[in-house]
Amino acid sequence: MLRAGSPTLAEVDPGWAWAPYEPGPNAPWSRDLAAHLYRRAAFGADWATLQRALDEGPAATVDRLLRGGDGADSFYAEARRAVEPLLGAPIEAGHLPAWWLHVMLRTPHPLLEKITLFWHGHFATSSAKVTDPWLMYGQNALLREHALGSFRPLLHGMAKDAAMLIWLDSAVNRKAHPNENFAREVMELFCLGLGQYTEQDIKQAARAFTGWEVRRRRYFFNPYQHDGGEKLVLGVRGPFNGEDVLQILLEQPAAAKFLVGKLYRYLVSETLPAPETLLAPLADGYRQRDYDTSWLVGTILRSNLFFSRLVVRTRVKGPVDLAIGLLRSLEASVNTYALAEDLAPLGQALFAPPNVKGWDGGSEWINSSTLVGRANLVWALVGGADNRYGNRVPLERLAALEGVTEPAAVARRLAELLLGTDPPQAVSVQLAAVAADNSITDQRLRLARLVHAVATLPEYQLA
Amino acid sequence: MNTSRRRFLQHTLGSSALLSVGLHVPAFLARSARAAGTGTGQRVLVVVQLSGGNDGLNTVVPYADELYAKHREVLRLGADQVLKIQQGLGLHPSMDGLARLLEENRLAIVQGVGYPNPDRSHFRSMDIWHTARPEVVDTRDGWLGRALDTVPAEERRDVAGIHLGPSPLPLALVSQHTSVPSLESLERFRLKTAGGAMATSALAELAQAPRAEQSELLDFIRRSTLNAYASSEQVQEAIGSGTSGAEYPEYALAQRLKTIAQLIDAGLSTRIYYVALDGFDTHANQLEAHAGLLREFSSSVEAFVHDLAARGQLERVLVLAFSEFGRRVAENASAGTDHGTAAPVFLAGGAVRAGLIGEHPSLADLDQEGDVKFHTDFRQVYAELLDRWLGCPSQTVLGREFAHVGAVAS
Repeated sequence: MLRAGSPTLAEVDPGWAWAPYEPGPNAPWSRDLAAHLYRRAAFGADWATLQRALDEGPAATVDRLLRGGDGADSFYAEARRAVEPLLGAPIEAGHLPAWWLHVMLRTPHPLLEKITLFWHGHFATSSAKVTDPWLMYGQNALLREHALGSFRPLLHGMAKDAAMLIWLDSAVNRKAHPNENFAREVMELFCLGLGQYTEQDIKQAARAFTGWEVRRRRYFFNPYQHDGGEKLVLGVRGPFNGEDVLQILLEQPAAAKFLVGKLYRYLVSETLPAPETLLAPLADGYRQRDYDTSWLVGTILRSNLFFSRLVVRTRVKGPVDLAIGLLRSLEASVNTYALAEDLAPLGQALFAPPNVKGWDGGSEWINSSTLVGRANLVWALVGGADNRYGNRVPLERLAALEGVTEPAAVARRLAELLLGTDPPQAVSVQLAAVAADNSITDQRLRLARLVHAVATLPEYQLA
Repeated sequence: MNTSRRRFLQHTLGSSALLSVGLHVPAFLARSARAAGTGTGQRVLVVVQLSGGNDGLNTVVPYADELYAKHREVLRLGADQVLKIQQGLGLHPSMDGLARLLEENRLAIVQGVGYPNPDRSHFRSMDIWHTARPEVVDTRDGWLGRALDTVPAEERRDVAGIHLGPSPLPLALVSQHTSVPSLESLERFRLKTAGGAMATSALAELAQAPRAEQSELLDFIRRSTLNAYASSEQVQEAIGSGTSGAEYPEYALAQRLKTIAQLIDAGLSTRIYYVALDGFDTHANQLEAHAGLLREFSSSVEAFVHDLAARGQLERVLVLAFSEFGRRVAENASAGTDHGTAAPVFLAGGAVRAGLIGEHPSLADLDQEGDVKFHTDFRQVYAELLDRWLGCPSQTVLGREFAHVGAVAS
């Protein structure tokens, strides 16, 4: 069990940690926990969604998140139809990030986008080098297809993904001179992590990927450039090709540990490192189920540990989380071209991660520049004066505020909506004062100031 | 104290009472009242990071070496192309800017810089250069962050360091006690309060109001938020100053260096500035890409040095340029080069011992991966900059003593 105030997870019993959470007198289901679930497994929630989660309980809510809401199939069919005509324009037109942000904003299946975003950071490929929108979109679709499927086809698909082939130079990986870029990153960043392989393993594996090229925007195997000789990779010897090497990587126990560790950090906590023993059941299960990511994500989201107080607000919201979360809570749509433009300087340009390692996340998101930028972005979104964002966010018609008029109650309700819980006492007093500020006669502006005040709170930067 | 500075202090410190809570308040806030304008005369270090692994061999080129010609059939730069430094060695043809600085005795090139057991992962090797701890994986802080932490709290002023660029704060600047902002541009660093938005002081009060919850992460965000609002105002004050009229090329690196020159000239007492130029990971079709990158690097640094000289500030500014590793001696079949090891480090400014320092690493004596062997540990360069330039005991920062390379003029 968890000891109160314990800053580490060293003594947490793994059996308890990953058993499904069942609300009880000591751990009641609450709006705070429902909001926690929606911050981690989705991009926040509006008032109705939070209310439904409160009514239905954690198990049904997690099921719903894993399954996706009604209309997901037709939504994605429509999204695909919408993106295709845009792919002929140059990458600089910025269609792809705007399109994806729109999908995140409107999707009935936010968990799918959340995990797709995770894999985007994992297999970080940038349009700075891969300038063909078809290829960047193709990779995004591949990530989404397998986001909640098995990692095995995802890895194999990525190794042959044209954008990835170009990104890591495997497209010019020739028999006479193997290029080590992909071989290195597939071990260091995609499968095993640093320290699980040697420089020799990389050199040998690079030979196995020779001849993997791109033709007509697709993977093409060029037998004349493939080195079919014997290789020694991670202690196994044979005339391996690229698929064999991927197979060998997935046979390493380190692979499941590495991937589970990364997903743990993404879904559970950035500040509480999990001991290996705690993650072992997840890593074993992930491997035994042939890397079924849906099982892994579901197990994590249903668990006692996930819903324990220890891990609530132990992640820093990324810029996308911050903006999409705010907009979804406010039931708002905005011009996502403008949003993509404003998210980049906050450190998260979709389709253009900073490097092959993806986004570091955590405290890396936070510095003086990004905090000033976050405050400015929130105001641009809700202030109503930034024409780039199009229609005003309809703050006056928020479901959360229906029938709530008294200033202190309005402040409290907005905090409940955005934070999931009451803010600290001293903050509540100040927020109530903002809500009651009579010098602002425009009611919408008063609400906008209140949202600005809540969404710039240090608490709101945490997930 | 000038009036604008006083206005800032009244605005930020007075109305929001930033100092009244138990939260750690950055010392520069508490001190800036007395220290306003005292940046003049302090020595400044400007770090230019060449990210991705710069091909040192095609930067300082041993053009007459037969082994160079043998290993670089496609990428070879000939005697008729390079900008000759001395017999057998020349700068890449794109680097005429640095060649001029060399003639003006404002550039030192330390050759063969690396570290033992070189790591060929970008991230690990960059971490090593940033932390100056090759032996252990410990990324809690960086060498410059530790250097900033050695300044006694009561002596810290203004913003101790500034990273100018779109990426997150470089690990080199991460410290335990000193907050260093990472700025995309100075305009991005202005909290917009027009159109009825909450005032800076009101937002600061919300961040600062006491919390019952004990959370290191939350406290970190609260501190960072207060820092952000305060240093934002401070930098806005500093850049009110004008330009020198110096010409800079249009490159992003040049524009960032231009901003830094402005901040230095404005008397901001920031000691360390950090910028990066990315793209050096030239695994394929290297020639053209590398030439473009070196041109941006070289012409930007030249413009910066000349601007500072015109402003009368060059004597107190030193530029350090490094990359996480060099590249393999033998080119690959994609007309590119793979990750390698040792490479040259550049130092520019009014107080360098100009010229080449150390031998060009031998191409006849490669390690088993086919990379040149380093002869100068990068921490020797750091140690000299710490001891002789920043006035900070290098042993405290680096954990032990390192022989200086003799790049800072005595």
